[in-house]
Amino acid sequence: MTASGLGVGYAAGGGRLEVAGEVDLCLRAGRTTALVGESGCGKSITAAALGGLLPRGMSRDRGEIRWAGGGERGPGKGLAYVFQDPGECLDPVFTIGSQIREALPKEDRGRARERMTDLLRTVGFDEPERVLASYPHQLSGGMQQRAMLAMALAGRPRVLVADEPTTALDVTVQAKILRLLADLQRKENLAVLLITHNLAVVAEIADEIHVMYAGRIVESGPVEMLRAPRHPYVQGLLKALPRLDGAERLEGIEGSVPPLGRRPPGCRFHPRCARARAVCAEREPPWTACGPGHRVACWACGDGGWA
Amino acid sequence: MSGPLLQVDSLRVTYGAPGRRVVEAVRGVSFEVLRGRCLGVVGESGSGKSTLARAVLGLEERVDGRIEFDGREVRRMGRAELRAFRRRAQMVFQDPLGSLNPRLKAGAALAEVRRVHGLAKTRAEAEAQAADWLATVGLDAAYAHRFPHELSGGQRQRVNLARALCVGAEFLIADEPVSALDVSVQAQILNLLKSLQETRGITWLLIGHDLAVMRQMADEVLVMKEGRIVERGPVDEVLARPAHSYTKELLSAAPSVKRALDRRAAGALAIGCRQNGPS
Repeated sequence: MTASGLGVGYAAGGGRLEVAGEVDLCLRAGRTTALVGESGCGKSITAAALGGLLPRGMSRDRGEIRWAGGGERGPGKGLAYVFQDPGECLDPVFTIGSQIREALPKEDRGRARERMTDLLRTVGFDEPERVLASYPHQLSGGMQQRAMLAMALAGRPRVLVADEPTTALDVTVQAKILRLLADLQRKENLAVLLITHNLAVVAEIADEIHVMYAGRIVESGPVEMLRAPRHPYVQGLLKALPRLDGAERLEGIEGSVPPLGRRPPGCRFHPRCARARAVCAEREPPWTACGPGHRVACWACGDGGWA
Repeated sequence: MSGPLLQVDSLRVTYGAPGRRVVEAVRGVSFEVLRGRCLGVVGESGSGKSTLARAVLGLEERVDGRIEFDGREVRRMGRAELRAFRRRAQMVFQDPLGSLNPRLKAGAALAEVRRVHGLAKTRAEAEAQAADWLATVGLDAAYAHRFPHELSGGQRQRVNLARALCVGAEFLIADEPVSALDVSVQAQILNLLKSLQETRGITWLLIGHDLAVMRQMADEVLVMKEGRIVERGPVDEVLARPAHSYTKELLSAAPSVKRALDRRAAGALAIGCRQNGPS
């Protein structure tokens, strides 16, 4: 699945407010692509746009989405979602079994039981029968997220969008769910789009990474690019992370992400950037290639830049 | 100044209505916090770390054990003394928006607590002082006139800190103070906490689940599991040589960009996780 020049707009006061723009994504079978950014950068909206799940008032009004084999598809038709809070996504009054059954496509309904136990085994449950008969509150957060994954896989998706799938979980549980995601991606040959704010999660399982800031992708590349990112924002994010092996003073990024409607012209990061010059405030930076599959949108660190 | 500001001995906290199953959330915990130091308490959800914090401030009812603040037992304090204790010991919570009154501007929020504690006579006097307190947390006076919804997450947490400091807090309990914040803002707030410790001599009890944050902030750390302390010591020692299997598990699951990349480059299993099977 590829998305090119994707833009999501929000109708406000007779005009269009851009939530995310010029997003290019290429999701390949058996690969995990990460879309990373802080709150308000447009990553979840971009993910929602892929499957036509945008909230009322917003629309995907730029760019196009292409599937290998043609056509556009939505949730249940090749694309499945897993969200942050499994406790909120599961219906408390139905058993896990009846909720997975609902997600099964027609051709699997005849042998629903068998298919459901298979799905639960795939996501790491040893006693699928017991889980089928359980209500959500009888499961721990990690188990609930596994059940959500089973439900997402029920429709045999080609693309799995995981939006902050481990953010609500404890660290030891997070590690297990991440490993499960990595396993599923390999075994089921899924294309996974991982939406997260957590660079360490990205480093664990992503193959490619796109960093978003204020509605734009600012740097893209293979996950190894995190060793030496080029964009000042991405460098700043890494320096801001507390480290297990050192207690030097952290370097935060001054200021905060601009809210929708107050995004600055030119490079959107320039008001917070130590390397910004006049051009940064005037025009959006073009893409510069800086390695195999690695590109950055920055005046300072691009071709002819000063950093 | 030296010596412990807070001493806790065999603290137990239970929940549950009479006649129903009793849950022991904190099961006999003892520790002390030295003046001007930061003690970190790490554990996962349900380990009892937040209950512990609430119990120390007298916010839990079914408490057993001894809690001593500045040499005086908290549970035996009289009204006046308790009032002073509540001024000197303050708490900052995880959700910066949820812990501010949406109808009070930042300046008014500070003024309110100062009046409640009798530190300012009139509203006007209290509001005039608010600007000074906002300055100590890095906000300029203009922010006094903003409502919580007009502030960013980091600014809200600064207001929460100012509100705790402005009544003369010496001891602050911060329960996951940065986990609701964006990474780039987290660092600003952590640096602010650190500098308050250094410049104002604030004593901290920092509750959290993130070992890297503890490494940055805490002098000593307690690791809690199921209501008990399973390991304790200077933070760099605990992280360098974890003794308890649970600490090792926490450490190996702690997210780290560099470690993850190294592990993958070496072709090893992607995620450090010591147990298999459903979580």
